[in-house]
Amino acid sequence: MSFREKSAWITFILLLTFGVYFGEIAKQLFGAAASRGSYLPLFVLLVGAIVAMEIVMHVFIAIRSPQDARAPRDERERLIAQRATARAFYVLLTGAFIAIGTMHLGVSTWVLAHCVLFAIWIAELTRYGSLLYYTRHGV
Amino acid sequence: MTGNAIRNQIRRLRFEHGEMTQQALAERIGVTRQTVNAIELGKYSPSLEVAFRIAGAFARPLGEVFQYLDTNPPAASAAATEMRRR
Repeated sequence: MSFREKSAWITFILLLTFGVYFGEIAKQLFGAAASRGSYLPLFVLLVGAIVAMEIVMHVFIAIRSPQDARAPRDERERLIAQRATARAFYVLLTGAFIAIGTMHLGVSTWVLAHCVLFAIWIAELTRYGSLLYYTRHGV
Repeated sequence: MTGNAIRNQIRRLRFEHGEMTQQALAERIGVTRQTVNAIELGKYSPSLEVAFRIAGAFARPLGEVFQYLDTNPPAASAAATEMRRR
């Protein structure tokens, strides 16, 4: 497995863990929530942990294959990145329009902000998922 | 996916060139080993530039390394063939 594929797997899996946050938000939105202020520590903790893990894991895989890590992207890798980003863009666009739509339902800015954050998360998952798909199955 | 209409002889040519590794070929043409592997397996159709570099690495004409299998020619070219026949 190439350095870039390993890197995409790491980011994809770490991004998935952020689903915990949205699970908590869903509980607060639809369940009997204690208070809306309690989401912030979880958010900070998760973002901090994800960033730290990203750094540690990338340093680890770069040490294991330094030449691969230093090599610039070739044409196939650039094409894969472009296609994955294009897919993610449509997901983000759809999410953004849905988020705008929630505004007309009279939701609070807190919900609106989380709709946008959710759209970004799904778009990033799409990007890294597509990167892995195209790397494995061809582009 | 590109539909795999392009076939190639890279694997055979590597074998004929002293069992050249994918890594060695990749270094000669300036791509990653994974890209050479993807080209060999028909999962990726390289740019014309890389295709020429691959042919150059084996000192063979491009048509000997890559073959395009036109299984579904466009209607226009089919019509032109028909007119030529008449």
